[in-house]
Amino acid sequence: MAGTTEDTSALDRARDVIVKYGFIAVTIVLFLYFAATEPAFATSSSLFSMLKFVSVTAILGLGVMFTMVVGGLDLSIGSVAGLAVQMAAMTMVFYNMTGATAVGVVLLAGVLVGLINAFLIVVCKIPDLLATLGMMFVIQGAKLIPVSGQSVTSGMVLRDGSEAPGRFTQGFLQIDRGFVGPIPLPVLIMLVLVIASWFFLSRTTWGRVMYAIGANPEAARLTGVRVGYYRGLAYVISGVLASVGGLILVSRIGQGDVNAGASSLLEAVAVALVGRSVLGQGKPNAWGTLLGAVLIAIVLTGLTMKGFQYYHQDTAKGAVLILALIFSYTLSRKKIRYTSAT
Amino acid sequence: MRNSKVLLAGLLGASVFAMSACSQGGTADDDPSGDAGTTADAGEGSADEGETTSASAEAPAPFDEAVNIAIVQNSGQGDYFQQYLNGTRQQVEALGGELAVFDAQGDNATQASQLDQAIAASPDGIIVRHGFPDTLCPGVNKAIEQGIPVIIYDVEIQECAPEAIQTQQSDVEMASLVLDQMVEDIGSDQNVGYVNVAGIAPLDRRDAVWQDYKAENNWTELFKTGTYTNSSATDTAPMVSNALKANPDVAAIYAPYDELTKGTLSALEQNPDLEGKVKVYGADISTADIELMKAEGSPWVATGATDPNAIGAAVVRTLALHMAGELQETKVEFPPILITADFLRENDVNNMEDLRAAEPALNIADVSSADWIPSVTF
Repeated sequence: MAGTTEDTSALDRARDVIVKYGFIAVTIVLFLYFAATEPAFATSSSLFSMLKFVSVTAILGLGVMFTMVVGGLDLSIGSVAGLAVQMAAMTMVFYNMTGATAVGVVLLAGVLVGLINAFLIVVCKIPDLLATLGMMFVIQGAKLIPVSGQSVTSGMVLRDGSEAPGRFTQGFLQIDRGFVGPIPLPVLIMLVLVIASWFFLSRTTWGRVMYAIGANPEAARLTGVRVGYYRGLAYVISGVLASVGGLILVSRIGQGDVNAGASSLLEAVAVALVGRSVLGQGKPNAWGTLLGAVLIAIVLTGLTMKGFQYYHQDTAKGAVLILALIFSYTLSRKKIRYTSAT
Repeated sequence: MRNSKVLLAGLLGASVFAMSACSQGGTADDDPSGDAGTTADAGEGSADEGETTSASAEAPAPFDEAVNIAIVQNSGQGDYFQQYLNGTRQQVEALGGELAVFDAQGDNATQASQLDQAIAASPDGIIVRHGFPDTLCPGVNKAIEQGIPVIIYDVEIQECAPEAIQTQQSDVEMASLVLDQMVEDIGSDQNVGYVNVAGIAPLDRRDAVWQDYKAENNWTELFKTGTYTNSSATDTAPMVSNALKANPDVAAIYAPYDELTKGTLSALEQNPDLEGKVKVYGADISTADIELMKAEGSPWVATGATDPNAIGAAVVRTLALHMAGELQETKVEFPPILITADFLRENDVNNMEDLRAAEPALNIADVSSADWIPSVTF
């Protein structure tokens, strides 16, 4: 942060304030506006359902954020969430295993996809965007091979003519439907992951090294950092976070769903990008990603309550993203770069 | 380095917009012709403007003042769903209410969240249209617990929410009407073909009726084929065509979903030697379907159908009765009618509007009606 306050002109100072707090102010103003005009907006059940709505996007956004920190981007994140939906449904419905097993299988699948991504990017030296784009298609298709493209439901007829033996366990369904006190479980999971991500990136050596790699991989390499190892680690973390998001999704849907996760990628990328501009940091960060997700939830919920259609909402989402990019790139006097955390 | 980051972000921004533009298409495969059906104002553009009969009695509470109704729909894309929403909207307005539309665009997790949001806004009544029972049951049960009247359309919701009110078009009746016609046309002891897919609730209900008729009339099913995809008609056609090449000796084919019926028709076109030998019995109706049935020498002789506009309105009337505490049933079915190609030709029906004029029964105005409900007809 130092270095940005040396300039003393009032205009520049004002600009700094806008860059630093502008996005938070936009969020608060929008919140107050919707709360004042739509009585149902600010009730606690409405707020919790809003946070619950956005929990998956926020968690996937964290995954994207990790890969952005090391200067990459994970385009396979939505399809990994979809893979998680499929794996969880198959584990419980086809193989009649417990919910805990399903969670384990799904998380392992996330690690595995992360490792494959890491292999393609670090060992095969394929650019991040292209490698993860390829993986996106592979996963989207491959997850449907064992089920012939059908959504997995309890009691469905299998290929050999018998009925699927298992069903979703009640415990597993609590991942999305459970509460801790008044707080929905997915909201709690989201908050825990945000705090853990923040701590990891800002308070541990690993996190700082990741930021350093994002800022300048060559310099990082010259100082003796194992760049490939950390970049790979970011993709594994991303895969695991995508799996957690997928677990919430499938527990929300309550059965397999071939389309689940497909729409998540763009929103996840958008919130991670919005997150970069928060507090004038200009670098991907966990709290910003959360705020980006919350802002999008506020906009979408408010617009829905005001009777706007989804295409208006898509427009609004895009406008939010553009606004964030303006804060990051246009208004900020600080050069956009990845520096180690403050 | 900085430049490449800027470039990357710009590229991303661009692709986010480009791709979200693509995703507007949703998952529906129907021809999205009536483009104004889902706009906030009813009756705009190409949507069918209904006529409202005025109520003859004082409305009970809560209809003595404006009511807020929410519809939580799985998908709004396609001609059928736009007509449905149009009917819903006009009936809500006739009742002096306001309609909030939650459209999950085919995303089931979103639909669950939107049902939550709809409940959180505590409306006077909620309509839930299509989706998975396992996804919707927690929300539906929560709404019932909170005393919000809910009507569910075309979801087997009572499996997991036994107190919920389930509505659907009567698929049993739809299949029976068409198959009665088929019995009349071809008689018993015939070879027949069957185009259907398993695992989709309304098609499964039609399948049960088919099995009964097949056994009763001693029909021999020479083939069963068909697939349900984003382009069912196109993907089903080659399957039926191959089945026909292997089993050309069928008198009739039953394909109880109009995309499957269309696939069957194009399969027959690819087998010109069968022309005039095979009759096709289908389901559903739309302006495009009417054209196909009326075409010179069309093998599609009969279909069973409802009018999505009328269904959308009837669901609202059912909800209104429920809100006023006057609904007795927990399951309401909307009756379809039989439409034959001969009827279309005789009455010179060229589109849905003509059809409604020729067959007022499509309006099902007497279903879930009451003297205090002004009902909308199309």
